[in-house]
Amino acid sequence: MRITRRQFLKVSGAAAAAGATVRLSPIPAFAQSGPVKIGVLAAKAGVTAPVGESGLRGTQWAVERINAGGGILGRKVELVVEEESNPKDTVERFRKLVLQQKVDVVTGVVSTGVGLAIGPAAEEEKRLLLMWDGTTQKGVEETIPKPRYAFRSVDNEAEAVMASILAARRFKGRIKTVAGINNDYSYGRDNWAAFLAIMKKYGMNVTPVVELWPKLGETNFTSHVATLQQAKPDLVFCSFWSGDAPILLKQAHAAGLTASTKLVMTTAGGVHEQLKKAFSPEGMILGYNSLYFDDPKASPLSKEFTRWHQEKFREWPNYESDHGYFTVVAYKAAVEKAAKAAGGTWPTVEQVAGALAGIEVESLSGRRGYRADHIMEATYFQGISTHRNKHDFVTLESVETMSTKQIQKPSGMGLYDWISSWTV
Amino acid sequence: MTQALNLVLGGVFHAAALFLVAAGLQLVFGVQKILNLACGSFYALGAYTGIAAVNAALAAGVPAPLFLPVLVASGLALGVLGPPLERLLRTIYDRDEAFQLLLTFALVLMLEDVIRFVWGAAPYQMAGVYLTYGQVRLGTATVPVYNFIVIAAGLAIAAGMGLLLTRSRFGGIVRAAAENRGMAQALGVDMGRISTRVFTLGLVLGTVGGALVIPAGAAVNEMGIELIVEAFAVVVIGGLGSMRGAFVGALVVGVLKAVAIAVYPEAEMLAVYLIVIAVLLFRPTGLFARATA
Repeated sequence: MRITRRQFLKVSGAAAAAGATVRLSPIPAFAQSGPVKIGVLAAKAGVTAPVGESGLRGTQWAVERINAGGGILGRKVELVVEEESNPKDTVERFRKLVLQQKVDVVTGVVSTGVGLAIGPAAEEEKRLLLMWDGTTQKGVEETIPKPRYAFRSVDNEAEAVMASILAARRFKGRIKTVAGINNDYSYGRDNWAAFLAIMKKYGMNVTPVVELWPKLGETNFTSHVATLQQAKPDLVFCSFWSGDAPILLKQAHAAGLTASTKLVMTTAGGVHEQLKKAFSPEGMILGYNSLYFDDPKASPLSKEFTRWHQEKFREWPNYESDHGYFTVVAYKAAVEKAAKAAGGTWPTVEQVAGALAGIEVESLSGRRGYRADHIMEATYFQGISTHRNKHDFVTLESVETMSTKQIQKPSGMGLYDWISSWTV
Repeated sequence: MTQALNLVLGGVFHAAALFLVAAGLQLVFGVQKILNLACGSFYALGAYTGIAAVNAALAAGVPAPLFLPVLVASGLALGVLGPPLERLLRTIYDRDEAFQLLLTFALVLMLEDVIRFVWGAAPYQMAGVYLTYGQVRLGTATVPVYNFIVIAAGLAIAAGMGLLLTRSRFGGIVRAAAENRGMAQALGVDMGRISTRVFTLGLVLGTVGGALVIPAGAAVNEMGIELIVEAFAVVVIGGLGSMRGAFVGALVVGVLKAVAIAVYPEAEMLAVYLIVIAVLLFRPTGLFARATA
C-alpha cells in the first residue's frame, strides 16, 4: 500500500497529538527519552563466573521490580550485559558500553585487577561506574585517589577483619599457634596480614607456624593439608571464596584435620551450598559477606528475594546478589534525589554522582549506602557453623552482624594503621 | 618419617591425575603431531560426567561401594566423543602449528561453555562417597583409602599403556606411525583409523583421569585450563611425545610441588617452573625424548 502525502501528514499529526497528550501526564518532562540503560560487566568464565552470575541475578531482580513500579522517573530500565574478563578487554567493553551503547551507568566488576584498570577509564569517559566488588587494599589505595565518577565496593578485607575479631573473642586464651592458607594474590595476602595484625591487637599471643599460598583456581590440596597436619596449628585461617573452599574442607576432613583444628573461613559463605555437612565441621567461624540467606531477622525484601532466587534457580542466594541489587537501587534513588534538587529535570551525570555520595537505601542486607569517598557501606554476616538445619550443608548457629562502620577502615587511612589505632 | 610419607603421598596422588592427562597429550602428539590443548577440557568433562553418573547411580539405589566402576564407566563412555572430534582436527593436520593451537584452544573454550551450560557455574560435587572405602592411619596422619586407589589406578594404566604400546600389534603400528607416518602409510597402515583410535584413547585417558580424581574434590568450570598448564610442565620435563616422559614428568611435578609446599610454601609454583627452565636449558628435548635432527 502506498501512503500519499496527505495520509502521511494525517498520521504524523495524530502521532504528534498523542505525544502531546503524553507530555501532559504528571511525569515530568526530561531531555532524555527512551529507557535508562544500565551497562553490566559480569564475569562469565573462570573462577569468578559464579560470583558474576550471582551479581547479575540481584541486578536483574532489581530491574524487574523497578520496571514493575514504573521505572526510574517514568523511564523503563534496560540492561546491557557485557562480559568481565581480563583488565584490557574489560576496559574496551566498558568503552563500548559508554560510547556505542550509550549507557547511563555501568555496574559490575568482581576482580581487583579489572577494577584498577576500569576506574580511571570511568573518570576519563565521565560515566558513572558502580562496582560490585574488586576492592582489595591495592584497589582502594592505588587507583584514582579522589574519584568523581567511580564508586567502589566495601574493602574486601572487611570480612577478614570481622572474622578475626570473632576469632579473638571466641578463642582468646585457647589458641597458641595459627596457620594460614590463602590464595597467592592481594586478597589472600591482605586478609592474612589483617588477621595477624588483629591477633596482635587483641593480645592473642599467637605464633604463625605455617603460611600456605596456593594459586587461585587450585583444585588439589592434599599436600597443603599434609603440611598443615605436620605443623599442628591450633587454628587455621582461610579466605577461600570459590570452589577451593569445599575442596579444602573435604580433603582436610578426610585427613582428620578438621576434627582437631579450629577453623576460620572468612568468605566460604560465597559457596555456602557446597559446604556439605559430610565434611564441613560444626564450630568453625564462617563468613557470608553481606548476605546470609537464612537470617531470621531478614527484612521482608530480603526474604522475598531469597524465595524468588530459590524458586527460579533452585539455589539459595549469596552476597554478590546484594552488591548487584544495591548498585541499581542506589542509582535509582540518586537520580530521583538529584532530579528533585534540579527542579524536576533529568539530572546530569555529575548531579547523580553528587547525590550518590552519602546516599542510603534499603538493600537485601538491610540499609546500606555510599560514603562521601564513594566507598560502600553494608552489614556483614558471620557466625559459627552448625549441622542443625534442614539442608545438607552447614549454616550458622547464631548470626552475628557487624556494620562496615566498625569493620572497614575510614576514609584516608591505611588498613594496618587503622587496625593499630584500635583500642581493645 | 610418616609425615614425610604422607606428604609424598599427597604429591603422588596429584601426579596420578597429571600423568593421565599428560599421557593423552603425548599419545596424540606422538601420532598426529598435534599439541592438543583440549586435553585439560577432557579431564574437566570426565570430572563433571563422573559426578553426574555417580549421583544418578546412587539415587537409583546402586550401593555406595560400587561408585568406582560407575566412575570408570562414565569416563570410558565419553570415548564416543573421540571420533567426531578427531574428524574435526583432521582438517588441520597438514597446516601450520598455529592453526592447531587455535583450533584446540577454541575447543577448550567451547567445552568450558558446554560444561557451564549443562552444569552451571557453581562448583559441582558428588554425594559423600570419598571415604566409602575407609581411611588408613599413617602414624599421626590419616589418608583416605581412595587416594591409594587413584594412585594404584594411575600405575596400572601406566603399565597397561606400556604393554599396549610395546607388546601389541596396535602398539607396534602406533609406534611405527609416530616414527614415520609416510612409511607406515606406504606399508598399508590405514592412518585415518589409527588417528581416530589414538585420539580416542588420548581422550579417554583424560576423562578417566578427571572421573577418578573428582570424588576427592569438587568440579569447577576452570579446572581444565588449570591442569593444562601443569600438564605442559610435565611434557616439557619428560619430553614431548614420550610416555615414559609423561610418567616421570608427572611424578617430578607432583612430588616437587608437595615438597615445596612443606619446605618453602612461597615457591609452590616457582619450584616446578625452575625445573622446567633447567630442563629447557640443559636438555631442551626433555628427559626422555630423542633429539630430532
